[in-house]
Amino acid sequence: MRMTTKIATLLAAIALPGPALADAIPATLYKNPQCGCCENYAAYLRQNGFDVEVKPSNDLAEISSQAGVPAEYEGCHTAFIEGYVVDGHVPIKAIEKLLKERPAIAGITLPGMPMGSPGMGDDPTKSFTVYAVTKDGAKPTAYSYE
Amino acid sequence: MSDFMLISRRSVLLAGAGAALTTVTRPWQVHADSTREMRIAAAPGEAFLVGGSNSKTDVLGYDGRVPGPTLRLKQGEPVRIIVENKLNQDTTVHWHGIRVPNAMDGVPGLTQPPIKPGESFTYEFTPPDAGTFWYHPHANSLQQLGRGLAGALVVEAREPYPVDREILWMISDWRLRPAAQIADGFGNSMEAAMSGRVGNTVTINGTLPRNESVRPGERIRLRLINSALARMMALRFEGHHPVIVAIDGQACDPHEPDEGRLLLGPAMRIDVVLDMVGEPGKRYRVLDDFYDELAYTLVELAYDEKPVARAAPLGAIASVPPNPLPQPDLANAERHELALQGGMMSGMMMGGNGMMNGGMMNGGMMGKGMMNGGMIGMMGGMGDAPWSINGMSMTGDGQADMPPLLTLKRDRSYVLTLRNETAWWHPMHLHGHSFLIAGRNGKPNPRREWSDTVLIPPKQSVDIAFVADNPGNWMLHCHVMDHQMAGLMTVLRVA
Repeated sequence: MRMTTKIATLLAAIALPGPALADAIPATLYKNPQCGCCENYAAYLRQNGFDVEVKPSNDLAEISSQAGVPAEYEGCHTAFIEGYVVDGHVPIKAIEKLLKERPAIAGITLPGMPMGSPGMGDDPTKSFTVYAVTKDGAKPTAYSYE
Repeated sequence: MSDFMLISRRSVLLAGAGAALTTVTRPWQVHADSTREMRIAAAPGEAFLVGGSNSKTDVLGYDGRVPGPTLRLKQGEPVRIIVENKLNQDTTVHWHGIRVPNAMDGVPGLTQPPIKPGESFTYEFTPPDAGTFWYHPHANSLQQLGRGLAGALVVEAREPYPVDREILWMISDWRLRPAAQIADGFGNSMEAAMSGRVGNTVTINGTLPRNESVRPGERIRLRLINSALARMMALRFEGHHPVIVAIDGQACDPHEPDEGRLLLGPAMRIDVVLDMVGEPGKRYRVLDDFYDELAYTLVELAYDEKPVARAAPLGAIASVPPNPLPQPDLANAERHELALQGGMMSGMMMGGNGMMNGGMMNGGMMGKGMMNGGMIGMMGGMGDAPWSINGMSMTGDGQADMPPLLTLKRDRSYVLTLRNETAWWHPMHLHGHSFLIAGRNGKPNPRREWSDTVLIPPKQSVDIAFVADNPGNWMLHCHVMDHQMAGLMTVLRVA
């Protein structure tokens, strides 16, 4: 599958220092203008081959809420990747799964700013529950465990 | 309900039974006892925040307006302000920056019972200081202020200040949805632990600003008030040199701001004198570039063609006459340290692997066992407040049983070091007193600056000095309203 190939390329890119590949998947990341950990997460996405545009905004609560993320499931920043919302410090594996499976959901979120998550200490021993969110306001359900 | 019923019990008691009926009068009436009287009502209303007759916003406002009426008082002259509550919830009014008696300070529970819907409360005080102040509720503050309840309060000095005219900009911001309605979601816990609810629409005096018309050669006193919930502002006047003459109502040595930026945190006021040195017919932008990459044009100064006719050239900018503030004795002052703690990323600034070790939230959060749950735990139920002062979190708007962090001896001088250990800016407001900004980051302040709301950048400290001359229980809190509600608040008792 094309996407699989793309992801394989992305994974290969992790090892490659330097600029993102030409066919990197574009991502737009909205962040609080004063939050530093969001920059760490943008760097994490870039390391994983995404072409990340960071946009500071004071309207994050509205952006994530409009995208379908309930307030109590919000992360501290909101990214949009291939039409999906990716909220908070979501590990790359969950994003890969999302882009591979392409479920009929609004996107995924890792609520809060959990310690050890990507951009928040990057502790590989920590595990996190990523939630799927929909536009209809239904309670988010577990999407993956990373 | 008859007018008589609207009078609070307090005003009946104060005025005496015989005078009670006569206290219900038109605004501004001067009574036989020479006390000026006015009325304002906290009420729902509609406002044209974004201009245009098709885009009305539902608001709460004093007299239903945004901002509420500008109250002009006279220094040293008693005033009686009857506040009616036409809301469906309790309210109070805090006269921000005015050194009032404790019972008039408007903190629910702590200084007065809240004003219930349909009831009223009579505030009586004599403003000791001239200057730029404002009034706002201290009940359900996030929503009530965030939906529009605020007004400017100008205390006029006995002598006029030598300028051609005066302009007042009450700058606020709103989180509007496309139909110009104020977005719900007040108290979002992620925002509460970060920068608070910063809006997406900035208004001056309740409307989207376009032009401020000025004339070449004018000298203007511009009173700036930041009445936003959380938005910090850094104003720059293209082609002009604003001179700060007063901060939070109190005179300072006239000076230009550092790097030409007027830093105005929530609840802060700055009076500047602007000499209109621009060219006739031209326009000059007023920019706000506080937030990185989010600079915008607040308004434009639009010059008329015709200059002001002036018989003699303008002299130097005059100092504002100082107010009768008690001078703290710095050498013999009692000193205390207050650490502002918590919020997101507090440990990330520590460098090294402080973040890894759980330094994301420090202080009060750690004290409360939030380490293990981290943000997830907090998001789960918000059981613990994200902010604290010296490890203690007081949340909400004020309650009767708030224990004082410090008890200050009446008439003694104090220096309090407010140490911001967090990663966020905090405009810290002390009720009932104005204070000298004696130092920053351990260094003495070269300027004599008084204030009641001081903006403390992340990881910096400010020494505030004052004489504790006003007895009672006084709030000290962050005026980013989300931060106050979520624990960045304490009480100082003067006894």
